[in-house]
Amino acid sequence: MARIACRHLTKQYGNVTAVDRLDLEIRDTEFMVLLGPSGCGKTTTLNIIAGLEEITEGDIYFDDALMNYVPPHKREVAMVFQSYALYPQKTVFENIAFGLRLRKVPNADVRRLVQGAAEQLEITHLLERRPSELSGGQRQRVALGRAIVRKPSAFLMDEPLSNLDAALRVAMRTLIKRLHRTMRTTFVYVTHDQAEAMTMADRIVVMREGVIQHLGTPHEIYHRPRNQFVASFLGSPQINLVDGRLEANGGGASFVRGDLRVPLADGRLASQGGREVVLGVRPEDLRVGTGNLEAAAELVSPLGSEQHVNARIGDIELVLRVDKDMTVATGDRLSLGFDPRRLHVFDKQTGQSLRAQPEP
Amino acid sequence: MSRAARRPMLPVVGRSALLLFMSVIFIFYVGGPVYWLFKTSIEPESQVAAVPPNWIPQDPTLFNFESLIWAGREVNYENRRQGDPATGRFIPTGAKYLLPALWNSFLVGIAVAALNVLLSATAAYAIALIHFRGRRFTLYTILVTRVIPDIALIVPLFLLLRNFGLINTKTALITTYLAVTVPFTIFILINYFQSVPPELYKAARIDGCSHLGVLRHVYLPLAMPAVVASLMFAFLTSWNEFLFALMLTQNIQAQTLPIIISGFALDFTVSFSFLNAAGVIAIVPPVVLAILFERYIVSGLTAGAVKG
Repeated sequence: MARIACRHLTKQYGNVTAVDRLDLEIRDTEFMVLLGPSGCGKTTTLNIIAGLEEITEGDIYFDDALMNYVPPHKREVAMVFQSYALYPQKTVFENIAFGLRLRKVPNADVRRLVQGAAEQLEITHLLERRPSELSGGQRQRVALGRAIVRKPSAFLMDEPLSNLDAALRVAMRTLIKRLHRTMRTTFVYVTHDQAEAMTMADRIVVMREGVIQHLGTPHEIYHRPRNQFVASFLGSPQINLVDGRLEANGGGASFVRGDLRVPLADGRLASQGGREVVLGVRPEDLRVGTGNLEAAAELVSPLGSEQHVNARIGDIELVLRVDKDMTVATGDRLSLGFDPRRLHVFDKQTGQSLRAQPEP
Repeated sequence: MSRAARRPMLPVVGRSALLLFMSVIFIFYVGGPVYWLFKTSIEPESQVAAVPPNWIPQDPTLFNFESLIWAGREVNYENRRQGDPATGRFIPTGAKYLLPALWNSFLVGIAVAALNVLLSATAAYAIALIHFRGRRFTLYTILVTRVIPDIALIVPLFLLLRNFGLINTKTALITTYLAVTVPFTIFILINYFQSVPPELYKAARIDGCSHLGVLRHVYLPLAMPAVVASLMFAFLTSWNEFLFALMLTQNIQAQTLPIIISGFALDFTVSFSFLNAAGVIAIVPPVVLAILFERYIVSGLTAGAVKG
């Protein structure tokens, strides 16, 4: 169990800055997900926590101990990799036991611990095989076994599910969540898959180009994204973004684009009149048949549990998520409504949200 | 397809015949001298240069081997010419050194093979996996030493070793041969180590291995084929080496097999059958090694498979 703190962490490769003055505090027993597109510095951050990368600048602490110069094998963390990284010449049993053997754990205990981990992961029948004889899902279970058997103080995962097929990924997600609950250990999980992040995390860090964009619970990040990047990175289908301008009126402001005028019931925006902004609205926040915006359905994509509709208002293209039972056909006229409190307003220049509250 | 149709193919029978013919020529080319070596080693000297030459030994005898093995006891200035060079009963002075030289060759070869892998594996690991300052420079420097021909280094090396008081010692040979084999081995192992997925390095570090632990538990087992090949390479290099051994050793304290055997031909006269018997003794250990290790090389190659 450990609290992990990164203070002003910077990692440079030559002229490339992979992680830029990162400040991050991961709480004890928390499930923290580092989320972002490839090259955003999330894996580098994880490697730094593991001790596999040297720090260019800044400090890293486990609880209150400075870890900058502690080599990985003395940090007592465990790690699971996308490519599984099992030792090909060892059996499954020896793969799982390796960390214990290096710590000179007595043979009887090794046997008991490996057996216990294998039971938890339902791989007891595979213990005598070699990694090359296993399927991808089985290999990833072995990799998890290798990590949990040591009772590490932190559990680091680098896109562990990315090589698995979709159905297996969902099953493994549940398994990892259950492991987190039973082990009561700090988990740091790197992924570019927003569904994994949303379903598993206690808190999510969204990163881009080595900088934290938003740190918060999945709910906060989805519903009150700090900036346009975060808003469009999460959510499927993506949030609808419409360029326009703010116009102050009375106690609030309206979003204006051509003939379109959307009142935003928000006093904080009253002083922002004239600002160039981007309006964001999530596909599920547009409700069909309740409002006065006239739209034309252009494409209907039924997914079984729901339907996605590409619609158009003038020159604006929108994606809506509608109920699976609604009958919509291409060319239908739709009247759209929305809750003004659910609209996102971003500054066009900086991309920062003009509505989201900063973290207390 | 169209090209095959346009150009008439050599008839299948003709192709096979051609291949057979070429193979036979190749076998003679490669195997002929070896066969001649074996054949003459069990012939009396008088048969060696017989005209017409005999393909099968007419009068096979183990006398040459016998006298080699007993030479140390029997040969001295008085009795060494009791045999007649023409009939083969002639034992050169150097013969009594054959077995000690065999032992020297063994010691030097095994020391070189072992130290070579030890030094090269640690160096290759560091260069392949640890991003230390001056890494590229180190690698190039090591490789550049191999561009200089050995003969150019003989005199400086001789003087250097003499100043260290190492002339005529096995240590001199071992260090010199290591200077030859280590750069090559480092180069081979670096490539091998870099082909191992880097996640295995990370996983082993996190599981609790120090750098030496990673090398021992993960990289060396995975690089077994390359390690075995390096052992063989180093052993054979030192076993066969002639030039350095000739310059750096002066008596049987350190002289190796090639030096002693070549000495057989520098005596008052040359006994070919005798020389060839010694030659047979000299090629047996490397051949045995190759047969023993061949299994490891093949099994090591199939042990890989990391990702699926």
